[in-house]
Parts: sequence; structure tokens; C-alpha cells
Amino acid sequence: MTPTVLVVGESSGGRLAGASLEAAGTARRLAAGDGEVVGFLAGAGTGAAAAEFARYGVGRVRVVDDARFDAAPAAATAHAAAAAADAVGAKWVVLAGTTFGRDLLGRLATRWNAAAASGVTEVAGDAEGLTVRRPVFGGRATETRRLVGDRAAVALRPHAFPSPAEVPVALAIEAVGAPDIPAALFGPKRTAVETAGAGSGPGLADAAIVVSGGRGLRAPENFRLIDELAASLGAAVGASRAVTDAGWRPASLQVGQTGRAVSPQLYIAVGISGAIQHLVGMVSSRVIVAINSDASAPIFKVADYGIAGDLFEIVPALTAEVRRVRGI
Amino acid sequence: MEIVVCVKPVPESETRLRVSADGTSLDPEAVKFVLAGYDESAVEQALLLKESLPGSKVHAVSFGPAPRTEEVLRAAIALGCDQATWVEAPPGPAPDPVATGRALARPIFAMPHDLVLCGKQAGDDEAGLVAAVLGELLGVPDVGFVVDLRFDVPSGRLRFRRATEGGLELWEAPTPCVIGLQQAWNDPRTAKLPAILKSRRVAIAKVPYAPEDSSAPRSVAEKFELPPPRTGAAMIEYKTPAEAAAKLVRVLREEAKVFP
Amino acid sequence: MPDFSLTPEEESLRDLARKFARGEMAPVAAECDRSGRFPEEVYRKAHGLGLMNLNVPTEYGGSGLGVFAQCLIVEELAYACGGMTTSIIANCLALEPILLGGTAEQKTRILTPFCADYRFAAFCLTEPSGGSDAGALRTVARRDGESYVLDGEKCFITNGPHAELYTVFATVDPSLRHRGITAFVVPRATEGVLPGKDEEKMGHRASSTGTIRFEKVRVPATQRLGGEGEGFALAMRTLDQTRTPIGALATGIAQAALDHAARYATKRYTFGKPIAEHQAIQIKLANMAQAIRAARLLTWHAAWTIDRGARGTLESSIAKCFASDAALHVADEAIQTFGGYGYMKDYPVEKLLRDAKLTQIYEGANEIQRTVIARELLKSYD
Repeated sequence: MTPTVLVVGESSGGRLAGASLEAAGTARRLAAGDGEVVGFLAGAGTGAAAAEFARYGVGRVRVVDDARFDAAPAAATAHAAAAAADAVGAKWVVLAGTTFGRDLLGRLATRWNAAAASGVTEVAGDAEGLTVRRPVFGGRATETRRLVGDRAAVALRPHAFPSPAEVPVALAIEAVGAPDIPAALFGPKRTAVETAGAGSGPGLADAAIVVSGGRGLRAPENFRLIDELAASLGAAVGASRAVTDAGWRPASLQVGQTGRAVSPQLYIAVGISGAIQHLVGMVSSRVIVAINSDASAPIFKVADYGIAGDLFEIVPALTAEVRRVRGI
Repeated sequence: MEIVVCVKPVPESETRLRVSADGTSLDPEAVKFVLAGYDESAVEQALLLKESLPGSKVHAVSFGPAPRTEEVLRAAIALGCDQATWVEAPPGPAPDPVATGRALARPIFAMPHDLVLCGKQAGDDEAGLVAAVLGELLGVPDVGFVVDLRFDVPSGRLRFRRATEGGLELWEAPTPCVIGLQQAWNDPRTAKLPAILKSRRVAIAKVPYAPEDSSAPRSVAEKFELPPPRTGAAMIEYKTPAEAAAKLVRVLREEAKVFP
Repeated sequence: MPDFSLTPEEESLRDLARKFARGEMAPVAAECDRSGRFPEEVYRKAHGLGLMNLNVPTEYGGSGLGVFAQCLIVEELAYACGGMTTSIIANCLALEPILLGGTAEQKTRILTPFCADYRFAAFCLTEPSGGSDAGALRTVARRDGESYVLDGEKCFITNGPHAELYTVFATVDPSLRHRGITAFVVPRATEGVLPGKDEEKMGHRASSTGTIRFEKVRVPATQRLGGEGEGFALAMRTLDQTRTPIGALATGIAQAALDHAARYATKRYTFGKPIAEHQAIQIKLANMAQAIRAARLLTWHAAWTIDRGARGTLESSIAKCFASDAALHVADEAIQTFGGYGYMKDYPVEKLLRDAKLTQIYEGANEIQRTVIARELLKSYD
């Protein structure tokens, strides 16, 4: 018998977050068989988001229509979500591992005295409970963990799960009042949102993604291709020694033996052949992508994914695709 | 302001990871432990607030096994924390975030705490849940992913930003409050040599671990895996640049799971 | 049973040095090596963290470390840059004569204000006409009432051009040879103290080395360390204290060379496999590792001997001599492992060879160390 799964939705401007859709799809997979998935939303004007749940196969949506949640920390929503899970008899809670979702998860786990896992990239359920896989140590290792006990909650790493296909079902909203939540939890208030400005990207040393350009760019003005791809990914920009020696970019951006050693989650080497000088500085990156016109370049020996081709065609196409997928 | 800062020892970031004999965890043999990166920022932020608010105190608290936990508390003292409390962890697998929160909450509850600062996550398990667990147990609100934390003296409220997917949010909060810190105003300071020597002689309060905090394990580590050695790139076949781009984005999302 | 493990305190001191070396020194090491720039910003931070006056007791504002703890720190610093390390630890050498030969009044009066701020001191023993034969020095100190007048020239003075305080060894009577040598503390601001320009050096290029001329420099007798004629013994006792950290400095350079070579060897392919899988390279790496271990243990042993209160002349000479020879050999083998790349300035190992070379020369050339070792050794065969 498959248990009931509650999926906590996160909405802004009436739209359900993409990561919440991934959570809905995953919840439906976990409930496959005789289980049921119930959606949950808290805040004012969640109707459109509830309708979106139904479009992706989650018809039963429990809603706490209360504007206090909109500017409150996730802690308050956690109390309401726990109450909803109790009310519908949910054993498992699935949510998007966004900043909101992760703040919510710890509260929920504490209220339930239950197992919780954040940053989950794979999850499977059986009669005993949930088993998750999650990257740890900055992606340098992966742990598999079995969540034991009657109940468990998981926050899914955004983009790690497929966006579900549309499976429209009838929407049945169950509007309920907010449970008794300690007033203190409404103490912190969000007063404004500054939209993500262009700003300066992350620093090379601790960026999750690094895009580096090399000699293959041919001229300093072409380096903007790297800047644009990096901006689309929210990545830091790096460079090979050829680029910094030529003065196209400052020496502080040099990745390599005489520059900086980096080990991001994702390293994209563009127009870099892969001299040892460079490899030493980036080979410990978790995933390496190489884009180079020479299919026999040594960089492809250490890369996980390679595209052999003209970077002046590939990189703009990649930037466009990233922007499209990320909706920016 | 009475500030509590929670700190955790984690393996140094350049540590070469090895799998334990039973395959379920990191082999701690020969691993060097240091103060977790975001916790370093939390300590820095605590000290900056202390320096800007006369009469403030910073109390560092940690939960973990000997000797590394004592060492990170001494590191916190050397950086400028006034006091340190250590909840010694029992032997066995690393406790989950709820157990960690319970172990930390007990002594914190008994000490003055206008502000409890945690790093937003630790670089080992990367769970990032302890701030919320502490908030629930202490009966105070918590907010994570905080940058630019200030205390506004006239209003007596905390003002800060929160770094989210959608941009920077502006927040204000009353005290007491738990904050999961992403970034301090400054890069974390380095302890000075004389302060390091002095920190060796500071008494660290040791609090016993209450067995009722452990209860039954809520999760069990089954496997700890390192990525396989690289064997050369999987080359993406394509006819048009757009197809190459689409295929690459798809494998980064679905296979490698590193797409932002 | 001897215990080779470090105490938590020693570990945390080493961690501080490692963090400083990798965070502050390493990023500018190659640039300073190319340009010969004296990175004041690094030295200022080193002073701020308490890494500059390691041997000065805390009561005078220093860090109050024994030789063993100094060695742990120096090895870590030298791993990032031997030249900067030389400049950072030069105060230890320059101030040690005050610690050993100064009165309580002199220590309080001179050391306390000096250590409070970021400044350099320089040890002035070597002269153009000779370094190893210190007994033959020609700088003269002529007694004149309640003061002395110094005339002469010192060369190869570490941090000389930047120092604000000099410990100067001069003779009150050249015919007395060793027995005429007397030590003085001379502020740079004194009239007639004429620091020369920075020398262009083969290595240690982030450090500064220069000539200091003393022209009719009037020094009050209150600046004299110990009695007339006690300077030579003071210089020798000073070097007994400071020689061992040079062994640590050489060990740090050697360890950096091995790490670079081993890392390179696992990435560089020839004949279808990483060169680390070729026996010729494995033998090199194994020999390098042995030399480094031996150098470190000899250094630790000498430091331990001195910290237990012994003079440690034999032990420190063995450590300095062996470690510096090892550093040169290891750096050489690292270059050989890199092949042609190793000879290129874009790669970090040729700098290590140039930096290692000086450790065989300064603070007592290895020829002198061997003379000392033999002399100490033969005492037990009399």
C-alpha cells in the first residue's frame, strides 16, 4: 500500500515555481499505485497556483488562504504544512529544495520528529520508507540514505528531477484556516524584494559553476561570449594562461598551475586545448564540459562531456538555450 | 546583545575523500577537521555585531566528538568569541540534523540568546537544516540564507537581506531570532598567533549529551560513493549548434544534475 | 619514547601559518619573483598576525615561541615562498642578540616599542671582505666618552634597505680578532647610517638584501649589548638559535617541489601512461620524499634539543646543512620531472631551485656548517 504524499507548493505572483512542479511530478511517482498526492499552498491568492497543480495531475489541493504567510518566513508555512499533512494523513512530504523549501524542511522534521533530507537528487519509496541519494562534500561524493520511521520529508534539488508532463485533472480545493501558529513566527517580515540585478557574478574560488575561455577565442573582444554564457548560468569567469598572458583578462582569473585551482560543480572549458598547466587547476571539478574545435585536444580526456565544433557557433547557441531553459 | 554562534568541525575542503570500510560513510582516518566555511562567516558576523554593539557577548556552541569539536571551539575563541560550550557527541554514526539541533538547543536554551547564528550549511553533509530545527526547539523564528545582517538599535530589530533564487529580499526581524548565515559583512578574519596561544588556556564548558536527544535514528546511511575516474568525454553528436546546445543542457540537467 | 606527534597547540600554529602562506603569500609569489617587488602588504599582515617576531617573549610584544614551534611555522611559510619567509623571519635573527645579550632595561626600552608596530630589524655581521671569517671583520667601534663611533660597511644584509633597527657587530680593536668584537643596536635614524640599494638576486627575490654603510655613526654606550669583546660569542649563540629554522625553510621549499612534481607526474602522459607510472620518475619521487623526511626530522630534532635548553650547535648545523642540500637536490629533481616545462618560468619549480640555493649559503655557508659539525664530532674522539 502506497502512502499519501503531500507536496508543498511555492508560488510567487500566482505562478507555481518550476521546482515545485518537479516536486509534484516526483510526489506522483512516489504515490504511484494506490497512493494519493495532495497539494498544499499557503498565502493570499493561490488560486492560479492551485490550478497549476491540477494541470500537472495534483487535483486535491489544500489551501490556507491567509496573506500573513506571504511576507513571513518559511517557519510559519512549515507549521501550516505539518498540520495539513496530519489532516490528510500524509506520511511523506515532498517539496522543492529552494531557499524557501530548505528553511521549511527543518521545521517540519522537528515538528514531526521525522527524517528529513535536503538537496536530494534521487528518491525512491517502498513499504519501509524513502531512500534518497544526495550529493555531499560539494558534490565530491554522493550518499545514499534510508529515511526510517513512519514519516519523512524530502527537499529536492531544483533541476535534478524532470519537469513533469501535463496531465490535467479536476481541481478540488480544500480551503482551511491557518492552524494555531505561534505569533513569534510571524515576527520576521519580508519588506521588499530586489530583483536579481546584473551585479558582479560569483567569485572564482567558490563559484558552483565556472566558464573559462582560452586561446581558441582568438581575440580579446570575443571573450564576451564567455561572459555571456557565464552570466546566463550565474557562473564565474575563468581563463587559461594564454588569455591572461595576452592581457585579455586579468591574471586573477587564471585557472591553472600558476593561477588558481578551482573545483566547482560544473566547469565549462571553451577554446582551451588542455595544457597540463591548465588541467592541474581544474581537474577536480565535479563535471567538466569541453567545447573545442580540435576533437583530439587533451581537454577531452578529462572532460565528462565534449562538443567538438566551432565555439563561435556553439557558445551563442548554448547561451540562448540556457537562457530559454532558465527563463531569463 | 547576547549572541550565540553554532559551529561545526568539517573535513578541510582539500581533503582527499576516502570511503569507510563498510562503504557507508567518509573514512575519517587522517582527515583534518576545520571550522566549517559558513560557520566561519557566522563567527565573523557575530564578532562584527559584538564590536558594533558595546556590551555584547559571543558564545560559541558545538556538538560533536572529541577532539575535533573542542578544537573548533578553541578556534572560535581564538577568533574572538568570549565563551564556548561543547556538547560531546556519543560514538557512532554522525547524528542527523534534528538530533544535532536537539543537542545544541538544550544548552542554548539555558543561556541568554538574543541572536543565534549558524552557517547556512556545513560543507560535509550540506543539509542546512539546523537553523530551522533550533528555531523550532527554542520557540523563536528562524530565517536562512541571510546576508548583510545588521542590528538597528533605535527599533531594536534585525535588518538583513536574504539571497534567494529570485534575487535579494529585504527583511526585518525581532529578537530573539535564529539566523542561517550565508555571508558576513567581511571575509572571515584570521586568528592572531597570540590569540591562538591564549585560546588554549580558556576553559570550555562541557555539557553532557542527553540520551533522550538521540531517540531512534531517523535515517541510516547506506552508501557513500565517490565519482568514478574519468575515462574521456562523452562526445555530443549534433547536426546544428542549437541541437548541440539542447543536448548538452539536457545531459547537464538530467544526467549530471549540475544545471543551475 | 620520543613522540613525533604535534600537540593541538602546535597544530593550530601550523594551520595559521599554512593559511597565511596559501592565502596571502602564494598568490603573489610568482609576481614578486618576476619583478623583485618587496611585498610590504604581505609583511604587514604577517606582523599583524604575530608571525614576524616569533622568538621575542610576549612580555616585549613578540610571540614567545620556542624553536620547534618556529620551525613548524617557517616550513609552512617557505612552502609558499622562500624569499618572503626570509624577510618575515629576519627580525628573529636581528633581535636574538638583544634577547641573549641585552639587559632587562635594554629589552624593555628597545624591543617593546619595536615589536608593537610593523617594522624590520636587520642583523649586520657580514662584510664585503668576508662572511664566514667573522673574526676578521673590519667595522670599527671607537670609544669616545659615553659613546662609540662606528665606521665600516656591512653587506648582504637581509631587509637592510627597509630596516629601522640594526644589530651591528663591530670591533673595538681589530688586532684582538674575535675578542674585539662588540655588538650594538643602532637605529636607522642615527646620523651616518647609510643603507644602500636592493641587490638584484638569483632567488629570494621577494626579499630585500643590501649594503649598509656606517660613517662616523655615534652610538651611546647604552646601546651596546654585553661587554666589549663579547660580540663574537653573542653572534655565535644567536646563530645557534636561528640556524634550525633555516633547515625548516629549506624543508618547506623541498616539500613544495615534491608536491609540484608528484602532481605533475600523475597528469603528464608519455608512452601512453602518466609519467608517475614510469619507474624512472617513481625513483625520483621516492628519493625526494626520503630526503624531505630526513630533513624535517633532523630539523625537528635540533629544535627539540635547543628547546630543552641545550645549545644544539651540532644538531642545528646538521639540520641546516642537510636540509639545504636536500632542498637544492629535490628542487633540481622536480625540474627534471617537469622536463622542458620545468625550465620555463611559467612553471613554479625553477624558482624553487633558485630559492633553495641560498639556503646553502646564508646563516653560515654549508662549508662552515661542515667544519662546525666535524669539530663538534671530533670532540668526542679526543
